[in-house]
Amino acid sequence: MTPVLVPQLGNEITEAEVAEWLKAEGDTVDQGEPIVSISTTKMTFELDAPASGTLQKIIVPEGEIAEVGDTLAEIG
Amino acid sequence: MPRQIVVDPDQALAPTRLTMPAIAVHAYDRPFAEERAARGDAPLMEALRHMLVIRAFEEMLSSFKATGRHGEIAYTYKGPAHLSIGQEGAAVGAALALAPNDFIFGSHRSHGEFLAKGLAAIANGDEADLDAIMAGHDGGRLRDTVARALGGEGRALAENFLLFGFLAEIFMRSNGFNGGMGGSMHAFFPPFGAYPNNAIVGASAGIATGAALRRRLAGEDGICVAHAGDGATGCGPVFEAMNFASMAQFDTLWQPPYDGGLPVLFFFTNNFYAMGGQTAGETMGWDRLSRIGAGVNASAMHAETVDGTNPLAVADAVARKRALLREGKGPALLDVECYRSCGHSTTDANAYRSREEIALWEPHDPIARFSGMLVDAGVTSEAGIEAMRGEVAERIAAVVRAVVDPKIAPPVDVAANPVLIGQMMFSHGQIDVPSGPSTLAGPVEDSAALRKLGRKARNGRGEDGASVSPMRAITLRDGLTEAIVHHMAHDGRLVAWGEECREWGGAFGVYRGLADVLPHHRLFNAPISEAAIVATAIGHAMAGGRSLVELMYADFIGRAGDEIFNQLAKWQAMSAGMLQLPVVLRTSVGSKYGAQHSQDLTALIAHIPGLKVVYPATPFDAKGLMASALSSNDPVVVFESQRLYDKVETLAGDGVPADYYRVPIGLPDIKRHGRDVTVLTIGPSLYPALDAAEELAALGIEAEIVDARTLVPFDHAPVLASVARTGHLLVVSEACERGSFAQTLAATVTRHGFADLKAAPVVLGAPNWIVPGADMETTYFPQAHDIVEAVTGAFHPERKVNRRGVRSWDALDLARRGI
Ligand SMILES: Cc1ncc(C[n+]2csc(CCOP(=O)(O)OP(=O)(O)O)c2C)c(N)n1
Ligand SMILES: [Mg+2]
Repeated sequence: MTPVLVPQLGNEITEAEVAEWLKAEGDTVDQGEPIVSISTTKMTFELDAPASGTLQKIIVPEGEIAEVGDTLAEIG
Repeated sequence: MPRQIVVDPDQALAPTRLTMPAIAVHAYDRPFAEERAARGDAPLMEALRHMLVIRAFEEMLSSFKATGRHGEIAYTYKGPAHLSIGQEGAAVGAALALAPNDFIFGSHRSHGEFLAKGLAAIANGDEADLDAIMAGHDGGRLRDTVARALGGEGRALAENFLLFGFLAEIFMRSNGFNGGMGGSMHAFFPPFGAYPNNAIVGASAGIATGAALRRRLAGEDGICVAHAGDGATGCGPVFEAMNFASMAQFDTLWQPPYDGGLPVLFFFTNNFYAMGGQTAGETMGWDRLSRIGAGVNASAMHAETVDGTNPLAVADAVARKRALLREGKGPALLDVECYRSCGHSTTDANAYRSREEIALWEPHDPIARFSGMLVDAGVTSEAGIEAMRGEVAERIAAVVRAVVDPKIAPPVDVAANPVLIGQMMFSHGQIDVPSGPSTLAGPVEDSAALRKLGRKARNGRGEDGASVSPMRAITLRDGLTEAIVHHMAHDGRLVAWGEECREWGGAFGVYRGLADVLPHHRLFNAPISEAAIVATAIGHAMAGGRSLVELMYADFIGRAGDEIFNQLAKWQAMSAGMLQLPVVLRTSVGSKYGAQHSQDLTALIAHIPGLKVVYPATPFDAKGLMASALSSNDPVVVFESQRLYDKVETLAGDGVPADYYRVPIGLPDIKRHGRDVTVLTIGPSLYPALDAAEELAALGIEAEIVDARTLVPFDHAPVLASVARTGHLLVVSEACERGSFAQTLAATVTRHGFADLKAAPVVLGAPNWIVPGADMETTYFPQAHDIVEAVTGAFHPERKVNRRGVRSWDALDLARRGI
């Protein structure tokens, strides 16, 4: 399993919200493909799949807030 | 949303050669007989008559300036007279090719263009339309005055109306077209398609471009003509406007029917001089003005140089450009060469050009040339032309006699109403709450960023009373977004643009998500052209739109200085209220970015009459004030502090309402009650003031914190009432103290609340030096401890605390040293 983590987004930013899942559980994903968009108060980013495989489990659903370093989903 | 235009390196880096379209110079060669057959004799004679009217009008003004008389009529005209004698062919030629519903925007030397457009609109317009125009202006009063004084019916009455309204305006009479508020360089009359003349060289370029944008969006047929002189090609804002009108996105990203370059013709009346500087050969790099078209876009703006001494050559070119513009292939550029045979102004000694040169151009006088063509072809005779000249002279004399008569054209009576001019600054009108079907491309729910707002808490205070994370509660940024989304969704006239407004969501995220639900013609990225951003907003509003534009940082106000100070602020009053400018100009006040990106310039904007200025500090006020700004028919400048974008609502008890509401512009608000001292804050200073109030309370001093919220207009009543209770006033702002709005507020309260004050008010602002880098900002912007020290030091010395800030200096000594 490869975890999809909330990256370090800048000095003062400690948390981010899952704005939109671009892939659903069970979808095949390619490494480098955008899978989720997350937003801070200022910006919205798309996170790329860290590995190829199947999006096994979404841990943080749309609209929930996660801290930097938290696992958003797992790819296996 | 990803970018739609891929930057392909294979294409970008491939070797190639750029070619430019050939630019025609004096290519017109249609035989006069063909023109005569196509146009008919009567319209050609009419064109001559229009040139004679302009010549006689300008010579009349010249005579007043030089001798104080015109024939037997004596009158002292004190205003300016930039006359266009010698340039009539350009003005009348252009008007020949324009329809009544095309708009022109003029320069400082636009008497000729104004008269040509008006006379053409009268000659070609429907008589019923002319009657409606005259009946619609000032309740028909001007028409009645003209009918009594000068007579005439139908088109003849309309011509008298045009000449009287224009001359009365130049002579600053109350029944001039613009109530005497415009004068020679600014007179205009939109119903004839003549939009403002402009005393600022090149200023019409951006305004005409914005009007063209509105015309495209409103589905109107007409084009816009930006008149300027050759000297205006040295002005940055003119280049900004030409680029703005040419933006590739009109073809690549905008959808039909809104697509295609803007329908604006940049019409340069090239008289080879800009006052005393010679353009070609001295002050400019171009040899032929039309060459600059090639620097703007691949079609070289369809540029051409044409002979402005021949109205038919000009009409031919304008007709062809107009057709291109109506096909969506704008903008276009014409270099119209002609010679100003009179001086620049009546004080011009002609030191910069020789008598020989003036003599060389005499045979090219447009009236002499055109008369010659008509006589040679047998359309008329010398005697016929003399008779026409005589009739024109009589008509001008009759108009002058009427206008100099104060009973017919009363002067503006400021003494009878000392605030008469002041009353023209603002209409204070506002639109109803926009409602009705959504004009968005899809439901708000289509946007993840906008959906997110719906999930956030409305109140920034959690159940434990602590402040909630800006990720979880509505912030000041979100408040602005919500008001903007409401107006954008329900008011199709409202269009937003600025740098990085679409995918980026505005540099600070206020528009985040809007690109998901708004097409390009409602929200678009502008070039890095602050002057054009503001000028186009003005033109768009002048022509019936509502504009929401952004300057990324307030520090860039200087780049749009003329557009804000002379155009946005002044046209409502200079039109005596005929024009309304519903423009919201958003700008952010920076932080942590040093001297050129962090200055509070509110005082600069508040100083210029004609702009409403708001500076909200809380999410509740931000949403409500933005709604009021977007509803206002007057221009509003909205300052937004970058330090406050992430603030959640901790003061309004119920948080930020999800529904639409407005906070009135002009009313300060008490954010904390107290009986010992009034602390009036502007913008972000509210928060250190609230912190200071806690500390002061521990010392037994109860501070009343009043947030100004708005700078212009400003209702002093709540502040004076507060001072009446406390007896002390401290004004805190982040602007440099010298000349700041805080000083203005303190001075006004001193004057009107003197009896209640126990000590002189104190102003605590930023020192009069540059904003330092991020690490030093706390030494610069007033902090809570500075406020505690100011209150205890100045008003409650018995409670004086130990100094924690760095502010130990002698203000008078600093002033002596210029700091
Ligand atoms: C921004 C600006 N700078 C300078 C002036 C002063 N000024 C008025 S007219 C003029 C010359 C303009 O030359 P041009 O554009 O060729 O028009 P022309 O006077 O020849 O009709 C100048 C410098 C002004 N009105 N506005
Ligand atoms: Mg010139």
